[in-house]
Amino acid sequence: MNWKKIFAIVRREYLERVRTKAFWFATLLIPVLFLGYIAIQVAISRKTGGERKLVVLDPTGSLYAPLARELAETEARQKKEASGSRGPHWELEQHPVAGSLAETKEALRKQVLEKTINGYLVLDPALLQKEEVEYYSTTVSDFIALNQLQSAVNRVWMRQKMAARGLPPDLTAELEKSINLRPFKVTEKGTSEEKGAGILAALIFLVLMYSTFFMYGYQVMRGVIEEKSSRIVEIIIASVRPTELMLGKIIGIGLVGLTQYFAWSLVAMNLSLPAIATLLSGGGDLGVPRIPLSMLGYFMLFFLLGYFLYASIYTTIAAPFNTDQEAQQLAMIPMMLILSGFLFYPAVMNNPNGDVAVFFSIFPFTASLVMFFRTALSEPPLWQIALSIALLLTTTVALAWFAGRIYRVGILMYGKKPTIPEILRWARYSPGKAAQPEAKRAS
Amino acid sequence: MENAIELTHVSKSFGRFKAVDDLSLQVPRGTMFGLLGPNGAGKTTTIRMIMNITAPDSGEIRILGRPMDRAMQDRIGYLPEERGLYRKMKVIDHLYFLAAIKEVSRDTARERIAAWLDKMELRPWLNKKVDELSKGMQQKIQFIATIVHDPEILILDEPFAGLDPINVALMRDYFLDFRARGKTIIFCTHVLEQAEKLCDEICLISRSKKILEGSLKELKRRDSEGLIRLSANATLAEIGGLPGVATAKAADGGFVISLAPGVDQREFLKRALDRFPIEAFSRREPDLEEIYLDAVKGAGLEETRTIE
Repeated sequence: MNWKKIFAIVRREYLERVRTKAFWFATLLIPVLFLGYIAIQVAISRKTGGERKLVVLDPTGSLYAPLARELAETEARQKKEASGSRGPHWELEQHPVAGSLAETKEALRKQVLEKTINGYLVLDPALLQKEEVEYYSTTVSDFIALNQLQSAVNRVWMRQKMAARGLPPDLTAELEKSINLRPFKVTEKGTSEEKGAGILAALIFLVLMYSTFFMYGYQVMRGVIEEKSSRIVEIIIASVRPTELMLGKIIGIGLVGLTQYFAWSLVAMNLSLPAIATLLSGGGDLGVPRIPLSMLGYFMLFFLLGYFLYASIYTTIAAPFNTDQEAQQLAMIPMMLILSGFLFYPAVMNNPNGDVAVFFSIFPFTASLVMFFRTALSEPPLWQIALSIALLLTTTVALAWFAGRIYRVGILMYGKKPTIPEILRWARYSPGKAAQPEAKRAS
Repeated sequence: MENAIELTHVSKSFGRFKAVDDLSLQVPRGTMFGLLGPNGAGKTTTIRMIMNITAPDSGEIRILGRPMDRAMQDRIGYLPEERGLYRKMKVIDHLYFLAAIKEVSRDTARERIAAWLDKMELRPWLNKKVDELSKGMQQKIQFIATIVHDPEILILDEPFAGLDPINVALMRDYFLDFRARGKTIIFCTHVLEQAEKLCDEICLISRSKKILEGSLKELKRRDSEGLIRLSANATLAEIGGLPGVATAKAADGGFVISLAPGVDQREFLKRALDRFPIEAFSRREPDLEEIYLDAVKGAGLEETRTIE
């Protein structure tokens, strides 16, 4: 290995990428998109705020008044707790049952369609016996509003039942109070209350790692193919060994990734994470998530390990081909691997030390994402972390070796698209046999 | 004279395909050496073995009297047939990069590049992207990159491909200049006319095998035995009908006749003068193509004469 030459390659790969507008665009745009996404989420949840004209059909005659009071109280309470967010504002109107219940419902249905009202609630005594009420509206997916309505009806109904049994109202109020479960995360270093921000940070980092594996893996692939299609590769390997070129490229592009992380973290530290936390908590005290150093450490470690692994796969895939399109088919392989590492996150979140989590955090092709996520959520046994890292390293070295052999032969292979058995045969060539038959070169 | 490059019984196969078969050749220092042959003859594989990009299966390669190794690689300038540049890179950055991977220090590179850029009048293009350059200019950039480390040996694989006549002439001057400084050039092409104008020594390969080698002058003299240029008031059929003629063709504003072995030129001239008036009669040196075709015929490889 000639590190001076490798450094020249690294330098080129790094500078040529960092100097592009596309790089700075992505570096600035992704946090903006991220914040924008969250802002839209918040905006959507706020849309549940605003006025809702609700007609209540109350054949019981006894539920409407307490329900109206209950909803007004809920609204007042929410305003006091979180001044920033506006919950839905209910405008209630009682509607008499004219004729049969079915006829009245039909009349109200038309009103909903004409948009003179947002919806109507049917407190049918027959259904109430079965603990059911019906709500009709054009939109029934605004969960925040529906939840609020349901719990209000619930409380009113419960109070009425309690009153019917002769319980005093103060006891009823007492019974309504519910227990709040406060989660505390126990670690070697101590115990801290988990208010959701730590999990949120872990998720954000997981998404970041996942998307950068894609971005930079793909860039490695593109870079290799570009060198072939622009026919510069032979000029370079007249000075640099193929392995050195490959290594320089992977390191250079990896450094671009780290630079981007650095830029993002500057933005994040100052702005986005506290902002996100505040937004998501609805202005409540979620606390600014302090990203623990151990999380950052594990993030860097598993990012690098995963990046080298996937980059080796992407190099292997790119080397035999002359266009992106030709390589596209095989590019599915690392894509699926990265994706599967990511897709297990709900299972890992549910049980960070369960069988699924343990298995995929040790299986090298998903380990980087899953093991990082596990370390962020809980404290996996040290032997598992060590085993995961060891397997990742071994696999990466083996893959890099394999990639190097394919690369050496592949980069000199122009002309027709080689088949997969052909490509696999290249790996068996001794270093001395690393070039293509001249006869096969179509020019 | 010491040899710049020496190949001894070098062979190279890819699977069942024999790309280079028992090739031995010597490239003397300070010569312009032509490695010639049709496409697919094994030229590029040979060069890649010299460049240590590919290793031979058997045989030995010595460069400047030493076995090929990595340090040697930096003493050779190589312009491959498949060549290009990073399209999005600035010209000057690109040149510095190609110098850096030959371990040329930045200061040295700056001086040499500046000199060449002035010589080639490329200075206005320094900060342009490679993309914006014409093909000729890109080739010039590649040439600068090939010699930026001041190599002792230059290997050029089809260096004139895709160049216009003005640039061909310009490049040829650079190559001759390079040789005049005592350096060695291996010039690899399938276009024999180009080689003929430039080379001191040649090696012809066809179908992975060497079929001819030697100094161009020597080869021409050897082959010119029995080759005659004749101007006469006669038809080709009449000329062809003369006794002692092996082949005759109309060329050079007259006829080029090759005599059958053992036929004396003076005897032949006398017989010809008896038949019709002769305007001119001279011995004629064969051109490289004729030498090549002759050699191919001699090697029993006639079907490979698909030279362009």
